[in-house]
Amino acid sequence: MQTQTDLLAFFKEVLSSRAELKALDWLHTQTEKIIAEASPIKFFLAFSQASRFFKKEKMVLNQQEIDRAASLVAGFDPGHWDLLQTARTYLLLHFPQEKERWFTAINQLFETGDLYEQQALYAALPLMPFQEELLPRAIDGCRTNMTLIFDAIALNNPYPSNYFPEANWNQLVLKSIFMQRPLYRIQQLDERRNPALAAIASDFAHERWAAGREVMPELWRLVAPFINEKFIADLKKVLASNDQLEIEAGLLALIGCHSEEAKQLLQGHNEEVMAIEYGEITWEKIGRDFQEKRG
Amino acid sequence: MEMYIDPHIHLVSRTTDDYEAMRKAGIVATIEPAFWLGQPRTEVGSFKDYFSTLVGWERFRASQFGIVHYCTMGLNSKEANNVALAEQVMELLPLYAGKEGVVAIGEIGYDDQTEAEDRFYRLQLELAKDVNLPVLIHTPHRDKKKGTTRSMDVAEEHQMDPGWVVVDHNNEETVKEVLDRGFWAAFTIYPHTKMGSERMVEIVKQYGPERIIVNSAADWGISDPLAVPKTANLMRKMGIPEEHVRLTTYQNALTVFGLSGQMDENDWLKAPSIDQTKKLGGNSVLRGGQVPRVEGPADRVEN
Repeated sequence: MQTQTDLLAFFKEVLSSRAELKALDWLHTQTEKIIAEASPIKFFLAFSQASRFFKKEKMVLNQQEIDRAASLVAGFDPGHWDLLQTARTYLLLHFPQEKERWFTAINQLFETGDLYEQQALYAALPLMPFQEELLPRAIDGCRTNMTLIFDAIALNNPYPSNYFPEANWNQLVLKSIFMQRPLYRIQQLDERRNPALAAIASDFAHERWAAGREVMPELWRLVAPFINEKFIADLKKVLASNDQLEIEAGLLALIGCHSEEAKQLLQGHNEEVMAIEYGEITWEKIGRDFQEKRG
Repeated sequence: MEMYIDPHIHLVSRTTDDYEAMRKAGIVATIEPAFWLGQPRTEVGSFKDYFSTLVGWERFRASQFGIVHYCTMGLNSKEANNVALAEQVMELLPLYAGKEGVVAIGEIGYDDQTEAEDRFYRLQLELAKDVNLPVLIHTPHRDKKKGTTRSMDVAEEHQMDPGWVVVDHNNEETVKEVLDRGFWAAFTIYPHTKMGSERMVEIVKQYGPERIIVNSAADWGISDPLAVPKTANLMRKMGIPEEHVRLTTYQNALTVFGLSGQMDENDWLKAPSIDQTKKLGGNSVLRGGQVPRVEGPADRVEN
């Protein structure tokens, strides 16, 4: 409960310094109604109509605010949130958390939500009560093809890495690759790499090559800890690319591998290898550059 | 390039080829009125999922083609006749009426002009007043003239401001009364049945552009999603002034549905990036050389 109180205080502060007074007054009135009324209707209406008072303007949080968010709930990262979803989450946290009633209301919100309402809900998963019971909802949410909603679950969100079983986790990462989402924004990606995922990633790369299409360089991050003969052959092909980002990704995947073959492959690329050692080429840098190039 | 709004089109029934052609022809925004699906629904859940599609997937689908998608929410007159189901739909509507991008209550009104249709039409006029939204009226195909008059009588009885009500599917027989009474008169350019583009040109010549709106009402039947730009081009060819073309195929729809507070020219002229990895390229150009934001194929999702 303490976390809940602290979260509300955090949101209130973040919103107070960024939203208009009129919007803040409206928000305050709504939270009182939500707490007082037995029916969830007031909550539903406030949740929808928040769009009339808060803009989808990205909040720029300062480092102190970012640190504070993470200290409240591990992995909580509202650095990409906008004002509207923050206000909606604030309303959501006021709805009484009596289990049966809460799930009835939240399920209805998920089922009737528009694009941005669903975005707010899925991004707020790590802040909701009854974390384990939300797993089917989170897994189902990943079946969406609406990028905005998929991103709300997959990126900058600790929920999947905390709760998804391996098969669902692997699906989430694979779908992120398929939709060309920035993998570096998936939390705990390195920690949850696994041999099955590495094999799936390699198969996917082969499919793309067969179709004459390029392979997202971040994909090779999944293969890195499990380098074997097959993956070496893949990376050899990656290093033969004309694309600088693919080459950087191939080298980064190989650098921790101590086999003779890996060392030989690295030898022709002294400059990049040095840049990797100096921390100038990282998976995050490759991911950012790739999205930039794509953008 | 010219910009058009198609303020009445059932996009859930249209293909991606249509979307591409519409964008290419200059359509920047569309309004999708909640309607029936060609066969009656039997469960309230079907309405729920349909309404959710209008504010969710279809909106996303349109955005992939650089078209801004709005909708209206309502129980159509045909399905109002299943009273038990209609009552459940009425409970559902307040959940959707307040959502972002819902620009009116509609399309509502009469089909066979039954007692049930009348009851749910009136209830929805009250809902529109509660949530402060304009109304989109569907006028009947049969006994049209009487049905149109009755729709307006009842709207007035419920103290609706005619300036907040669009009466749709007009023809030469109904237009005069609609305009005289201060309502907005929308025309559906439907191949074979209702209005053809040539007849539309004549109407604009006769009545001028004030409070007249052109739409396609394209759906799952034989219909033309390019009806609005095609009619605009015919108007130009027939010597209708450019400003009149702009009013009837763009500005009037924006003015009346903009009363909702949910539709703004900046939505397509200065669209915020929904994905922060996307760049906002060259969108600062406004009036004069207005260039709406177009998203590229890189944003399309493979299904």
